[in-house]
Amino acid sequence: MKYVLSSAIILLCLAAAKFIMHSIGGSFPAPLLAMVILLLLLLTGIVKEHQLKPCASPILNIMPIFFIPAGVGFIEHLGLIKSHWPFLVAIILLVPISTLLLVSSVIAYFKGRVNND
Amino acid sequence: MTEQLKSLTAQLTPDLWWLSVPVIIALFLLLRLLNQRVKHVILKSLTNPVFLSIAIIALLLVNLNLPYTKFASHSQLLSWLLEPAIVALALPLYQQFVHVRKNLLLIVTTCSLGIINATVVAFLLSMIFAVPTQLSASVAALSVTTPITLIVTESLGGIDSLAAALVIFIGLLGALFGFILFKLIKIYNHEAQGVAMGTACHAIGTAAALVEHPKIGAFSSVAMALSALLTAVIVPFLYPILVNTLL
Repeated sequence: MKYVLSSAIILLCLAAAKFIMHSIGGSFPAPLLAMVILLLLLLTGIVKEHQLKPCASPILNIMPIFFIPAGVGFIEHLGLIKSHWPFLVAIILLVPISTLLLVSSVIAYFKGRVNND
Repeated sequence: MTEQLKSLTAQLTPDLWWLSVPVIIALFLLLRLLNQRVKHVILKSLTNPVFLSIAIIALLLVNLNLPYTKFASHSQLLSWLLEPAIVALALPLYQQFVHVRKNLLLIVTTCSLGIINATVVAFLLSMIFAVPTQLSASVAALSVTTPITLIVTESLGGIDSLAAALVIFIGLLGALFGFILFKLIKIYNHEAQGVAMGTACHAIGTAAALVEHPKIGAFSSVAMALSALLTAVIVPFLYPILVNTLL
């Protein structure tokens, strides 16, 4: 029963988000809207953590499997990758380096550069 | 030899496509077991099970001339399950919210800055290298965990699979060199290191952060969960603004 309730909560949030996005004709991804709806339900106490856990925990545990087929899809674009590899290398290096520098510096500015435990 | 192998697989594969899902699951679980046994931090990042699963399957499909479209259609069950799994991400997000309430404003602000920075840097590089629009849309949402990247990139009209591969590479590089970078810029604060790793290098960076120190890992997972939410809100609004004002 607990599995039925847990999966029903997840699927109802997904269905509600899809219905909302379909009704307003927006382009925001429905599963993400559903995630926000479920988060709000948890924060307001309408849905309890223990009601969601039975189905959510195992699905999160094996979640990486679900994006393997999509990840393999890059082989469909090998030509594009070959012709734009300098751009892709620049992206792989500069996006994380700049983000790491910016975020760590801003927090260090407010909290100090060394650990203050 | 290779030709013989290719003709053999061409004969066998029409009957064996149903194996796609069990093979993916078995390969992933096997590689995850291998990854759990590795203790060395660099080797742990390099044996990331998602990275290796994608690499091994991609190599098999390319070298054995197997069509990706067939593979994709037979493994669609897994792609369908991605949607409810994304909804279930609300659970870790909620659990992290409860633990970091007193620092929430600072962490939300810095995560947002990190996401805006990643999108703007990727967009500027797209302009400098003059890449096609589809490619620039593919790199707009890279500062976030893979499932969110897939869905946001698709909504922007980019190539979701390419974005997923880039996200994994970014995570690996962050896990390998993130803490060297912090030493170079002399930032040793656990909160700063953790939030930066979670925002820039998502799950793979968080795994490396947990190895470094539990507190860094905790802040990293908070930042990763928040970035998932914030990317979904920020990037679909920021990217069209960048396109309309800078192009």
